[in-house]
Amino acid sequence: MNYLPILKIEDLCTYFYSRSKQAFIRSVDHVGLQIAKGQTLGLVGESGSGKSVTALSIMGLVRGEPGVISGSIELNTPEGGINLLQGLGLHVRIHRDNGRIMQVAKDADAWEKTADRNLRGIRGKQIAMIFQDPKNAMNPFVAVGRQIAEAVRLNTAVAGHREARARALHWLAQVRIDSPQLRYHNNPHGLSGGMCQRAMIAMALAAEPVVLIADEPTTGLDATIQSHIVDLMGDLKDELALTTLLISHDIDVIRSLADTVAVMYGGTIMQQGPVQAVLGDTGTQHPYTAALLDSIPDQRLIRSKGYLQAIRGDVLDTMNIPAGCRFYPRCNKVDDTIRAQCRDQEPALINIAGGHRVRCWRFAQARPYSGRAAVHAMQRN
Amino acid sequence: MTATILEVQNLAKHYRQPGNLWSSLSARSRIIPAVDDVSFYIKANETMGLVGETGCGKTTIGRTVLKLTRPSAGRIIFDGQDVTDLSPRQFRPYRRQMQMIFQDLDAALNPKMRIKAILKEAMQVHHPMKNGRLDARLEELVAKVNLKKSKLTNYPPELSGGEKRRVGIARALAVGARFLVADEPTSALDVSIQAQVVNLLKQLQATLGLSYLFISHDLRLVELISHKVAVMYLGRIVEMGLAGRIARKPHHPYTHILWSSLVEKKSRETAGIPNPPEASTPGVFDFQRPVHGCRFAPRCPVYHDKGQPAICTDPDATPPLRDVDASHKVACHFPL
Amino acid sequence: MKSFTQHPIPLKAPFWKKAHPVDVAYIGYGLVIVVMVIGSYVLGAVNWLPHDPAAIDMALLNAPPNTAGHWLGTDFMGRDLLTRLILGIQAYFLPGLTAIAIALTVGSFGGVVAGYWGGRLNLVVTYAANLIDSFPRLVLILLMVAVFKPDIYLIMIVVGITNVPIVAGLIKSKVMLLKEKNFIEAAVALGLGNFRIIFKHILWHNCRALLIIQATLGMAEAILIETSLSYLGFGVQEPIPSWGNMVQAGSNYFLQGQFWPSTAPALAILFTILGFHLLGDGLNNILERKTG
Repeated sequence: MNYLPILKIEDLCTYFYSRSKQAFIRSVDHVGLQIAKGQTLGLVGESGSGKSVTALSIMGLVRGEPGVISGSIELNTPEGGINLLQGLGLHVRIHRDNGRIMQVAKDADAWEKTADRNLRGIRGKQIAMIFQDPKNAMNPFVAVGRQIAEAVRLNTAVAGHREARARALHWLAQVRIDSPQLRYHNNPHGLSGGMCQRAMIAMALAAEPVVLIADEPTTGLDATIQSHIVDLMGDLKDELALTTLLISHDIDVIRSLADTVAVMYGGTIMQQGPVQAVLGDTGTQHPYTAALLDSIPDQRLIRSKGYLQAIRGDVLDTMNIPAGCRFYPRCNKVDDTIRAQCRDQEPALINIAGGHRVRCWRFAQARPYSGRAAVHAMQRN
Repeated sequence: MTATILEVQNLAKHYRQPGNLWSSLSARSRIIPAVDDVSFYIKANETMGLVGETGCGKTTIGRTVLKLTRPSAGRIIFDGQDVTDLSPRQFRPYRRQMQMIFQDLDAALNPKMRIKAILKEAMQVHHPMKNGRLDARLEELVAKVNLKKSKLTNYPPELSGGEKRRVGIARALAVGARFLVADEPTSALDVSIQAQVVNLLKQLQATLGLSYLFISHDLRLVELISHKVAVMYLGRIVEMGLAGRIARKPHHPYTHILWSSLVEKKSRETAGIPNPPEASTPGVFDFQRPVHGCRFAPRCPVYHDKGQPAICTDPDATPPLRDVDASHKVACHFPL
Repeated sequence: MKSFTQHPIPLKAPFWKKAHPVDVAYIGYGLVIVVMVIGSYVLGAVNWLPHDPAAIDMALLNAPPNTAGHWLGTDFMGRDLLTRLILGIQAYFLPGLTAIAIALTVGSFGGVVAGYWGGRLNLVVTYAANLIDSFPRLVLILLMVAVFKPDIYLIMIVVGITNVPIVAGLIKSKVMLLKEKNFIEAAVALGLGNFRIIFKHILWHNCRALLIIQATLGMAEAILIETSLSYLGFGVQEPIPSWGNMVQAGSNYFLQGQFWPSTAPALAILFTILGFHLLGDGLNNILERKTG
């Protein structure tokens, strides 16, 4: 295992503001992640858990106010390391009360300018993204082959039209589109959903990125197509040694593709670690992860036609984050020894084994982990 | 208990492809068979699952059964009464007994009406009642589907996905329906909420004796909730039988591919499940959508393994749905 | 630097507080105009006017503002400007409402018929709308005036009819949009009749905002049309005061430096039309945004 992470995110906060309710929507709240070279990190969570906003924050594509407000996103390319949020701390003032961000002042224009400078040559080139809805993410009036060739010419050393076309055909073949010569000339709407997703992957790969972000790449596809795409992504990972941030709400997809997993709930990470430890039958799971796994029907349950283990309550409203643990209102593993703690105090992400961290008071004997230091460092800069 | 609540015979729904002026004048516009020659029945207190890919005609069947669109051919028999040709006025008493839970959460509830108004309206369509009684019934209904009472004054866009789904179910129950068409009732829901909704549907079936036509592309859910399952491919039922048998001992190559493509199984492949014949499936398919003969042939691994027998692509030899087992039917020339 | 502050407890604001302050200001201003219109009728009814609108004072022709109790001065026949200004709106208001009523009822009917049932009915409505659209409105009005008499109600009926295609088109596209959504289908499945679906679900709940904004625009338009017709001498006829014929009469003296007889009603027209437009805009924004 290579210990220099390709992508290292620390203490990322991306908030939105609801003017009518005068409240922050804490979409991404102190998130830390890292991906080692050639590894796939699976980011799993329910809707509103902040997984997509995390991806958009990395890409600098967050729309809305105030948007990204703190943290660091380090990218280690072969040419050297860079912090994508370098120098942005100057344009934002954060006021905390009791550790919680209560007031934010942000100079959006200056932030945008600096962020764009930081991301020049990174976005689309070093970090490429696969979107959930490929038909909308591609230009509907341009043949997919030409769009891929354009990505090649923009993002790699290949400059000539002919070579770019050859590379585009190569990538189309790489994603197992049959008769790439024919498909090259198809417009996106002329392709089926599965093929369009393949073309989208080809376009992302064409930039030869250091990190690939795949945001719900299988959502909305039929079961057979889904499994084809999962197979393809598995093959590509082996063939190209891709470093991938894979975002999905589908635990099975994450389980079959990821090396490490981070489980998000209500804007923050509840558990992260190697896939076997987090999604396996180890018993060291965060109550949320465990409940999530239980709510998917397994073979035994299907045979017995029993009731599913549903998580009570509703998905957390990130505008109303409770003072204690975010999962406390829905948790079924709270017992009286820790109830007060769970209710009143947010647990830290604590390391329970090598790289396996859990944010839960049930595991609180171990040494606490703090990512807050990074913000203070950034503000000092 | 064993009374048949809904029977569908040789149902077909053809859409006319909107053509240009010339084709509409010459009446040569292409006809797309969204549903073709579909027959099945659902018994009281029973769930039938309908699975298939996008665009295979699942939703069209659901809508046709409820007479939201007119069938091109075939008969719909509800509770022993042929309702196919009833006028809207004659059909009204049946509306009360059969309802639909719509797929699109946001579009299925009038966004400008409060939840309370939506439910009250549904309750009063067939049974006009006084306000006091209405409020009591409303409370009962809301408790039945586990909806928080405080949400009654909200507008639909302010609710979460699970809550909207509950309102949709409550509305169907408000008229006193016995038979529900559940069109993808859990799509767009998170797994934890999906489990709540599925449990609710199961529990309502147990307490109220409902029957469901459960349309979904989620195979595991269908297997869990349904007593029997029909698998559709391009407008036709290709296999039909008891849920467990369909999942574990499929006879149609398509059913086999469907169930073995479950990503879950792959992620646990260490268990030593034999490799599905899917490996021989020609990579990506599209465009070829035969309208006659076996529609699955272009994608069919058996067809390719058997050296492309002529009968599979013969436009006059549409494989009929025939019995292979007790209450297990399959439409294939070479069942597995 | 833009600052965002978390309120200790997230607010549950009523919808008028959620509304953008600009929209509230728009509506406030619009309501002021509406109140002034109502005030005009009230003052006229109880006869609390500063002067008799028809009293001619040959000694005070085009008197400047603030002469001998005439706050805004007098017009070319020595009649009090303020009084005529107050009464001027009455020339439009009821005729304007007539035009709006015709446009909205006939337009909604056509739009719903075309959008809800579609098919052949849609063709009929579309062709009828095209037919009306193909006549230039002004020519049609002049024709009516020539055949019958220059009556403001007659003119406004024509204005209403010529507005029908616009309303019908808007309603039709809205209905077709709504028909795509399942809640109409859900209402059918519930067993609701077409009548209730159309009036309650479609028109009342989902076309309200659209109809309101059309109504306010229609009122503004009625004023404009009358003003332009007054220039041709076909508007409201003397001695009944209307802002249009006041501007027209006053404009003859504008270049001689006696600007007030035309400027006062012109400003009234400007601010009233603005008021109706803003009222429609603000209401539309708030009604549309209320539920997200």
